[in-house]
Amino acid sequence: MTHLAIENVSVDFGGIHALRDVTFGLETGSIVGLIGPNGAGKSTLLNCISGITRPTRGRVRLGDTVLSAMSSAAIARQGIGRVFQHPELVAELSVHDNLLIACHLSLRYGLFSELLRLPNVRQQEGSAAERVAGVLARLGIADSAEARVGSLPYGHRKLIDLGRALLMDISFLLLDEPIAGLNDGEIARLREILLGLRREFGLGILVVEHNMPFVSGLCDRLVVLDLGQLIANGPPAQVLGDARVMSSYLGEALDA
Amino acid sequence: MTAAADIIRVPGSRTAWSLAAALVGLCFLLACAAPLGVNGYGLYLLTLTEIFALVALGLNFLTGYAGQISLCHASFFGVGAYATAILTQKAGVPYLLSLFAGAAFTTAIGAIVAVPSLRLKNIYLAIATLGFGVVLQKIIFEWRSLTGGGGGMALTAPHIAGYELSATGLYYLTLVLMTLGLFGAWNVSRGRTGRALLVIKDSEIAAGSLGIHAARYKVIAFAISAFYAAIAGGLFAYLVRYINPESFSVGLSISFLSMVVIGGLGTIGGSILGAAFYVIVPELLRGIKDAPGLVFGLLLVLVMVFMPQGLWGMLRRLGRRSRR
Repeated sequence: MTHLAIENVSVDFGGIHALRDVTFGLETGSIVGLIGPNGAGKSTLLNCISGITRPTRGRVRLGDTVLSAMSSAAIARQGIGRVFQHPELVAELSVHDNLLIACHLSLRYGLFSELLRLPNVRQQEGSAAERVAGVLARLGIADSAEARVGSLPYGHRKLIDLGRALLMDISFLLLDEPIAGLNDGEIARLREILLGLRREFGLGILVVEHNMPFVSGLCDRLVVLDLGQLIANGPPAQVLGDARVMSSYLGEALDA
Repeated sequence: MTAAADIIRVPGSRTAWSLAAALVGLCFLLACAAPLGVNGYGLYLLTLTEIFALVALGLNFLTGYAGQISLCHASFFGVGAYATAILTQKAGVPYLLSLFAGAAFTTAIGAIVAVPSLRLKNIYLAIATLGFGVVLQKIIFEWRSLTGGGGGMALTAPHIAGYELSATGLYYLTLVLMTLGLFGAWNVSRGRTGRALLVIKDSEIAAGSLGIHAARYKVIAFAISAFYAAIAGGLFAYLVRYINPESFSVGLSISFLSMVVIGGLGTIGGSILGAAFYVIVPELLRGIKDAPGLVFGLLLVLVMVFMPQGLWGMLRRLGRRSRR
């Protein structure tokens, strides 16, 4: 079991304190929901873990490895997968080719072999294509493998972005508002996929999401941020009963 | 099942592939037979087209795939030309060896030029590469003892395995090297490097999240494109048999960039079409009294307005329509 630790992380943007001394952790095999009102610092925290934003103070650790000094590419190589709120896909490529991009780290041939497309290139590309086909089947979108990504509906594109993370041999998955823009059927399918990933591969999942029924039904634990500070961390039932959480966030959501 | 997937299917059928393969084969046969049907000047134009196509194929990695603008490729072309010429003429190194040694040297320079590209984007990168181009051109100009300075260098015919390389021989050598360059470009386009470059163009953040080091791949793209430009330069030097620093100005860099854009960014066939357009069309316009430059300029405008995907994108659209 590996531990992903966020230790006293603060992020300042100019004079704005986006995160203040946030500390919590998650294990592989657990699903943790990160909730809080808009501007609470949830996406900033995901950016800190995946190396897009550097913590001003504090650090992020994966087991004994300190991640917070690494580039985002190096952090991805450590097995931290990131799925963005808005899918970052190459619109002019097919679904299959977009997923093939995520096999980058498992393809180990050099540029010279690639220029000549030597047998090792063909063999590795072949097995990457098989893994892509496997993920397409898992996501239930195998029949759109050859479709151009730009032509697909938003919900499909979000699934493809998730599929990319799955091809990367990760131990932790960071999801930013995965169900925004999805219909009920797609939400139910996403839930099954995430539970399946935990069951089969023991993935640790950190999910930022506004939809309370979805997070409380999916997560083992909820972490609540408000104005950059951690205000609650515990099982959904306990956190949702917390008076401070109620006033800062849920009250707002219920009013809306 | 999924409606959208049915509406837009990428045409990847077997018939389309065999048709494409047959077309490529036909073009290659035509290119092989071409010296039989043209005069000396025609042969010169065809060789020049192949040389420019080689530059465009390389630049397409950088501009078409990775989305980086370079205004110093004429200088890479020039460094390749001078390095090959100096090694062959002054050091007596065999021509083919000089060609590749010169290209290796230029590749290293390309990698160095890439360093500012790690921090700069878009127009800022263009200006930085413009500066590099001017510096390289100036070095060639000032290093008189080696390059002959502004007076240039006149070259004697190269020899391969003891035989003097005729104009036809140079045409075939260029054809072989361009075909190899084409093969390499096609392979990279469907390999991990080609895909990594495409992601970098779209979003460096996405690239990072997939474990792709954007900086590393930008250096690779600069280096490969400099290699292609330098090989082309080494062929060009012996096509024209006289080189001077003026031949490798910023104007030529802009022409190279236009070839890639006119042909179709990120497409391999487009690089070749773009080069052909740049060499052949002005020749066809020569008959128009006093106005070939004007008409050529207007044609560039029209191509960009009506074919934003370039000549290759236009051909692809026509091909798709005819199959329907």
